[in-house]
Amino acid sequence: MTQATEVLLPASPDEAVAQFGDGAGVTVIGGGTIVVPQLTQGRLKPAKAMLLSNAGLDTLATNGDSITVGAGLPVHRLAELADDARAVAQCALNVADYEVRRQGTVGGNICCDPGPDAPRGDLQGPFLALDAVARSVGANGETSTPLDEFLAHREGRLLLDLRFERPVASAFAALRYPHTHSYTVLAVTGVRSASGETRLAATGLAGLGARLRGAEAAADADAAGRAALEDVELADDALASAWYRERALPVLVRRVLSELEEAA
Amino acid sequence: MNLTVNGVSREVGSAPLTTLLDVLREELGVTSAKAGCEQGGCGSCTVLVDGEPQRACLTAVGAFDGAEVTTVEGIGTADALSPIQQAFTHHYAAQCGFCTGGMLMAAVAYIERGGTDDREAIQEALAGHVCRCTGYVKIIDAVAAAARGDSFDLSTTASSAGMTNLGGVS
Amino acid sequence: MKAVGARLPRYDGIEHVTGRTQYVDDVRVPGTLWTKALRSPVSSATFGGLDTSKAEAMRGVRAVVTAADVPLLEYGHLSALGIPADEPLLAKDEVRYKGQPIAVVAAEDEETAMAAVEAIGIDYEEREPLLDIRRAFDEDAPKIHQWGNWYPHFEGEMDCRQIRKGSIEDAFDQADVIVQGVYRPAAIEHAPLETQVALVVPEANGRLTIYSCTQALYFSMGVVAAHLQLPLNKLKVVGGTVGGGFGGKVDTATETMCALLAQKSGRPVKWRWTREEEFLCSSTRAPWHMEVADAVTNDGWILGRKMLTLHDSGAYARFSPYGLTKHSFHHTGAYTIPNLHFDGYVAFTNRVPTTAMRGFGVTSVSFATETHMSRIADVLGLDPYEVRLKNANRIGDTSPNRIVYTDPSTVAVMKALAGGMDVELAPAYAAMGAAKREGDLLPEHLVSQLADPEAH
Repeated sequence: MTQATEVLLPASPDEAVAQFGDGAGVTVIGGGTIVVPQLTQGRLKPAKAMLLSNAGLDTLATNGDSITVGAGLPVHRLAELADDARAVAQCALNVADYEVRRQGTVGGNICCDPGPDAPRGDLQGPFLALDAVARSVGANGETSTPLDEFLAHREGRLLLDLRFERPVASAFAALRYPHTHSYTVLAVTGVRSASGETRLAATGLAGLGARLRGAEAAADADAAGRAALEDVELADDALASAWYRERALPVLVRRVLSELEEAA
Repeated sequence: MNLTVNGVSREVGSAPLTTLLDVLREELGVTSAKAGCEQGGCGSCTVLVDGEPQRACLTAVGAFDGAEVTTVEGIGTADALSPIQQAFTHHYAAQCGFCTGGMLMAAVAYIERGGTDDREAIQEALAGHVCRCTGYVKIIDAVAAAARGDSFDLSTTASSAGMTNLGGVS
Repeated sequence: MKAVGARLPRYDGIEHVTGRTQYVDDVRVPGTLWTKALRSPVSSATFGGLDTSKAEAMRGVRAVVTAADVPLLEYGHLSALGIPADEPLLAKDEVRYKGQPIAVVAAEDEETAMAAVEAIGIDYEEREPLLDIRRAFDEDAPKIHQWGNWYPHFEGEMDCRQIRKGSIEDAFDQADVIVQGVYRPAAIEHAPLETQVALVVPEANGRLTIYSCTQALYFSMGVVAAHLQLPLNKLKVVGGTVGGGFGGKVDTATETMCALLAQKSGRPVKWRWTREEEFLCSSTRAPWHMEVADAVTNDGWILGRKMLTLHDSGAYARFSPYGLTKHSFHHTGAYTIPNLHFDGYVAFTNRVPTTAMRGFGVTSVSFATETHMSRIADVLGLDPYEVRLKNANRIGDTSPNRIVYTDPSTVAVMKALAGGMDVELAPAYAAMGAAKREGDLLPEHLVSQLADPEAH
């Protein structure tokens, strides 16, 4: 019961790390947009809950070509990356609505479980495409791992920040499906890195967001669109069927690649 | 912990994971913020926290010790309605009234940050607010009017003046 | 009539914009308990072993109510209109829709109420649910209602609402073309911003004060009185501003269950539904299945309509027979069709019981009729305005149930529509009005209807 939950209120990153400890039994609450309703509905009854609002993890820093985004950064502030990594800003400003963008955090969005009825974790797409490195703490101390590895083993870890190299170009395309309002049914992010690599990632999948590695290796945009369908399993929910998403995914892939071409 | 609610310092005894919505409604007796969905999806719980519009139903109160909270009760009274409240009244922007509080707080913040009478910008600002009664047109009319600084004579009963324009604002 | 065309202030306008409007959930009574319900997780099952002892013994729980506590378990909301009772206030032995309430708990706070519900013991034995209304009529379909799979009490004893007029056989014989269509509007959730809510206060004088979000205060009062077997003067119902109803806040059950909890606990009891309950468990507008076959002539006259309607009532009847009856009276829409063969069934499925919503029973058939008129125009290669204007109701025409029209507005509305859409009507059509039919507008097949409406 939440009445009995021990609430942790760190006032600095160090306090957050110390209070998190090995993470056993700790539910982390960033902005609360995903976790608080679960508490209200009685679906989540944590032994411990850590409120991160005042933990000083809401940082955004540039160091040469390296950009670091704090896990506590409110989603709307990613708009400040409009020049450095346009796709991140576009994705962020497409999340939910004005108020929820200000309350939700990057960490909460990245680390959330796939929604049971609708897609979540839009930001997984851009940060995977950027090949971001996730710095986290937990049972085996502090580690920095590629984001997809972190996501696969995020249980018991507290995400501190994400670091990526400024890309040469980036592009973001989301399915325009007005009746789904605040949800992003399907989206693709493309990145051309400083080293010349083209990376693609998608959200709106059956599980977490993921790289489209087959599409990345394809000869041209059309082949990439087709290959993308082999790369991932698409979500099938009340907002859009897998059938519909399958028809839209190649279109979004081609659109993103075309934008990256133009930016070159 | 303490919250300053509509300018008055209030002591809060609720557990830290209690939502700000429950603190306002159940502990402090401030009922203009509504429990429409308790998931952040309808907007009717929206209040200002340190000047920014926020979903009270998503806010664990423990992290907000010392915050300034503004609700509808704090922006004007029946004898001294704020411009946005006058606009909503004049333009019939409320029917059942349940979504109105949240709409007003979002509108106040929008105008405060320089929002204009551009209808698309207003829609974008209020995109997280659901209304099942009005069809939204009159709400947008009202926010646009307030953003422009229109003045209203709420006592008039001029004939045929009540039809809202169905398209854009002239 | 100074009010027409005048700009009048809403009497609740100032309250709405100052946050002063009081909805049920804003009423504050010291000592109010919170309510949560045990609801069926499946569409169809029998159940046994209902054990509320752990819940009742839980700290902070003040009352638990099940079917056994209800003085009159089944009360037909529209028994005054001849629709017998079929639905228990709380489920007893079986559940027929996902979300059906089985027990309600009143506790000191929301969390305790939720925990108490989880502590109620129950064993479900699932059954094959009937979810497709068309299957309701199959021999091998599960039998899901004590009356059979469709309502059998129209006019006391008929299993179908029938309209018969003229001779549909003659119409089909004389037709140049038969135009068919199947129309299946889906269920619609009212989704008011204010969820279902009730607060019941037991007064010292033995009366119950009920704060309700009902759209129909006296109606709800009667339902509560019937279930509780109390005289009306024991109830004081305080209505107030409804935070959106649209037809979905007429079905009365929340108040009744809170009243039982209030009686049992001696405390004020409030139940505010969650948005999830509102979507999953509250009644919706019904889905419909309508099959229309019109006998038409090449020049656009509709000689006859054969129609079959299946109205999906969900698990229980509620207001559905009433809705279907209205539907049947309007099944020709704004148009005059002299030969009619209409059969309408209220069929049951293991879904949430359906109810009224804006234009209950009639919006469905309006949608079907209008779409069908356009289809007729399409098939015949005629102008859609002209087909409508020709067949439009006029003074002296009769409705499906033989009401003679004295002031029909179809023609005026069609012409206003054409004007608004910048469509220029051919002179003969632009000149049309609602006057009694004569000349070209009185073809042979309409003569007998106009001559003697009762006999036709």
